[in-house]
Amino acid sequence: MKTTRRNVILSGAAVGAAMVVPRMAAFAAAPEVKLGVVGVLSGPAAQWGLALRGAVEFVAAEANRDGLIKIDGQPANVSVVAIDSKYTAEGAAAAANSLAGQGVKMILGPIGSPELTGIKPIALRNSMLVMGNGYAKDAIGPQWPLVFHQGPGPSGWADPIIKIAKAKFGMKSVVVVAPNDQGGTDIASVDAQAYKANGIAATEEYYQRGTTNFAPIVTRIMNQKPEAVDLASSPPGDAGIMVKQLRQAGFEGAIGRLGGPGYSEISRVAGGDEVLKDFYWYEPVFIDEKVLKIADDYKTLMKTERPENNLFFQWVSAARMVAKAIAKAGTATDTQKIAAALRSLPVEDPNLGAGGWIGQKFFGVNQELSFPFGVGLVVNGKVQPVQRVDAATET
Amino acid sequence: MNPYRSTLFQRIGFGETLTVALIALTFLVPAFATNPIVFSVTNQVLVASTAAFSVYIMLRMNLLTFAVPTFMALGGYTVAIFGLRFGVTDVVLLAALAFVVPALFALPLGALVLRLRGVYFVLVTFVLTEITQLVLFETPGLSGGSNGLVGIPIVTFFGIPLADNRAVLEVTIGLALVAALVTAALTVRFRQHFAAIEENELLAQSLGLVVWHYKALGFVVAAGVSGLAGFALVNMLLMAHPSSFNPLSSVNYIAYAIIGGKGSMLGPVVGATVLVFASDLFAIKGEYSQFLFGFLLVTVVLVARDGIVGTIRRWICRSARTSSEDRKAAVPLAVASEGRS
Amino acid sequence: MEGLVATGLIGISLGAQYALLALGFTLIFGILGVVNFAHGGFYVLGGYIAYATTTHLGAPYPVAVVIAALGTAGLGYVFERFLLERLVDDHLATLMLTLGLYLMMSSGILVVFGPESPSFEFPITGVLRGGGFYFPLQNLIVLAVCIVAIVTLYWLVYHTDFGRALRALADDRAVAAAQGLRPKLLFPLAFALATGLAGLTGALVTPILSLAPHIGDPVLATSFLIVILGGLGSVGGATVAAFIVGLIEAYSAVYLGGSKGALALFTLVLLMLVIRPSGLFGREARGA
Repeated sequence: MKTTRRNVILSGAAVGAAMVVPRMAAFAAAPEVKLGVVGVLSGPAAQWGLALRGAVEFVAAEANRDGLIKIDGQPANVSVVAIDSKYTAEGAAAAANSLAGQGVKMILGPIGSPELTGIKPIALRNSMLVMGNGYAKDAIGPQWPLVFHQGPGPSGWADPIIKIAKAKFGMKSVVVVAPNDQGGTDIASVDAQAYKANGIAATEEYYQRGTTNFAPIVTRIMNQKPEAVDLASSPPGDAGIMVKQLRQAGFEGAIGRLGGPGYSEISRVAGGDEVLKDFYWYEPVFIDEKVLKIADDYKTLMKTERPENNLFFQWVSAARMVAKAIAKAGTATDTQKIAAALRSLPVEDPNLGAGGWIGQKFFGVNQELSFPFGVGLVVNGKVQPVQRVDAATET
Repeated sequence: MNPYRSTLFQRIGFGETLTVALIALTFLVPAFATNPIVFSVTNQVLVASTAAFSVYIMLRMNLLTFAVPTFMALGGYTVAIFGLRFGVTDVVLLAALAFVVPALFALPLGALVLRLRGVYFVLVTFVLTEITQLVLFETPGLSGGSNGLVGIPIVTFFGIPLADNRAVLEVTIGLALVAALVTAALTVRFRQHFAAIEENELLAQSLGLVVWHYKALGFVVAAGVSGLAGFALVNMLLMAHPSSFNPLSSVNYIAYAIIGGKGSMLGPVVGATVLVFASDLFAIKGEYSQFLFGFLLVTVVLVARDGIVGTIRRWICRSARTSSEDRKAAVPLAVASEGRS
Repeated sequence: MEGLVATGLIGISLGAQYALLALGFTLIFGILGVVNFAHGGFYVLGGYIAYATTTHLGAPYPVAVVIAALGTAGLGYVFERFLLERLVDDHLATLMLTLGLYLMMSSGILVVFGPESPSFEFPITGVLRGGGFYFPLQNLIVLAVCIVAIVTLYWLVYHTDFGRALRALADDRAVAAAQGLRPKLLFPLAFALATGLAGLTGALVTPILSLAPHIGDPVLATSFLIVILGGLGSVGGATVAAFIVGLIEAYSAVYLGGSKGALALFTLVLLMLVIRPSGLFGREARGA
């Protein structure tokens, strides 16, 4: 076709010349591998997104340092495009679309269930690979072959933690408390089932997201006279207030939080470990010296402190798996091939240790990364060393 | 101002014509564009504009509504439920349902809330959005509760499935166009009635205008228009989820209408375009995004009091006034500004 | 029976907290006709100022509370005087302005202090116990401050020249200004009074609950509910309504559960509006 000025202007106006230019530039320099990050970077849950973004930026810098990824024999330059998903389904969908428009094929994140629900149709339409989080009951599944789970949900870790807590505190009944939206109900109900499976009577209690003073909820819990309370996926701030107010109300039993990391923030809000008294929680990563080395590496490589939230480590391991899969597949665009490479890779990390792929039983697809994790305990107001638990398996 | 109002163009109004034309023109986007960003942004802008039309209609009567997410949820969930439970996929039928069901809900609701004026109306519509969320959470059997409804069947147009990016955008454009036509028809047909209510409701009533008639009509149509926006949103995401209709999102729709300019129907479209672009642009800035968005709001309000469209129109009018030969050219603008009071 | 009384005590503590918040909100509306969307922002800012002064400057907590109140009042003054005042009669413009300010404040706090809750504790942690009841001493202090604040506000608005001038301006700005009252001086002061009250509440309540950049959102929703119930602009109405909302929230959450309880509360407020559109103590809504 003859290129007339008119044609150029027309197509330019419709498509946006921006599409063409970077692709041209890429030919001149090293091949480009873009990792997309879709995570909440603003608002109440921003810490999770900041941890995610920091982890992916770190893994990209690592890959560039080591020349890990080669496309057509040439070492590729890995870059990160992070977009705020605002912790909503639309925000995540818009972010995924925007990444698709920039030719990004791999997404790390999102973090919350609503976001993951929002991103999946977009990823399916644009055949993007997603390594996401979100503890929803339908987080991954056979209908989304390119969607992977960066760590198990409560279906993976609730049971071993409950066994440890039961041995320690011997509770026979528990009230599981969580916010009344998807981020709460999907975790609390799985937790409750796991308690029942261990012979502990469990009831669920939901509060409205945005509640600031939990004194009435605490009274309602106290009226049921449980031997333990599980704060499930209540955000750390809310969980901290509830611990404080439960203790003020005279609750003496153990308090758990089987819903995600955040012990240090909960302890800060509650007023210290003496207030926590007897407390057990899920720690997504068992942090030993080996894992902490990531933090040092981060400092040398990125010239700044790592994001505070401990999910950072888990995202580092997940991002490394994706980077390794891209390296193995030798392509940054063919996501089918990358996904196949990812499924075939052994689950191991230089810092976190070895694990496996799980998910077949609960989700119907074996695409959930499972690494060793930790169970945190505070006993009589004293923090115990976090107990290491082997990577969750499905039995 | 112009006693003859001879041309059809002037009677319909400049802003309304341009708005409808602009939305119709976006059909060019799915025809020519290939970049998913273009699709995504156009989709978002149109859903935002549609929802903002609803705010615009209510502002005709000097009522500021926060209830847009409520009616969007009604429209969106209606579509999802009819799709999942009854297998209805025809886009025309679904659009009709997405308009009518919220409108029917608005009728008794309007009887309750339209008695309120000023800030009471503002606050009570805000409470409505909070109630909407709680009702969704408490009715898992119907609305899927906190998990929402997923796996909605693909909509069809005379049996042709509308599944890919392009078709989804075409559905959104179609819905936005219908919403724009309905909004234009309502606000043009009853321009004087609404203007009288906006100016002084008591006076209008004492002069024999059956005020509640028009207020109810405006409220019901605004609800229907919101419902169309809800349909577009649900169709875009392929799910109806409570987080899509969260109470604070109403603030965005209001911002679109006001920042764009509440005096003209073009305002909501311009406001939605500018703010959606800005918000997408700022999203890359992560934790600074909200700061930049807030800064933009403050700046526009301080610099352009009548919103973007209103301010541009004032500039044009002013330059037209200074050169007397241009005076005639300003007539359509003056007519268009009549409804603004 | 014990349960009923214990829940009532919780309701009263909630009410005191809400009253402090709603007073500032209703004051700004009553006098300036402005719906202040940044109200929650001043609450959060107050908390962070108090936190920063105790932790980083080592000031004693009561001093920090005073500094927080003064700091937020100062910011409120500047905001009203230089931005809001220019558009004060346009209620849509002021809504957008305060909203923009809120977004800037909360994300500014997020950037400066980080997203996680810091350790910020109330210096007194004791709990009064006896016969099935308990009452944290912290709540007693909030209640006391609340009573002092309400009495002071009443005195200011109804028994001083400042208050009379404000009420005159609120009634009819043009006439009051023609009689020599100066809105340019008085409005920023009124705004500062209200934001200072929000800041004081933040400094007082966040160490009891929690401090984080986003905690302003629910504050706004609660303030909305209370002023609807109490009647916009009415100081007495807001006070009574705050305690009613506190009590309803406590009883419904205890006996119906958190989610259903909130639904009951909202529906009740909606019904209230239908029966008595101007609230418990409100006059005819002002034109804004």
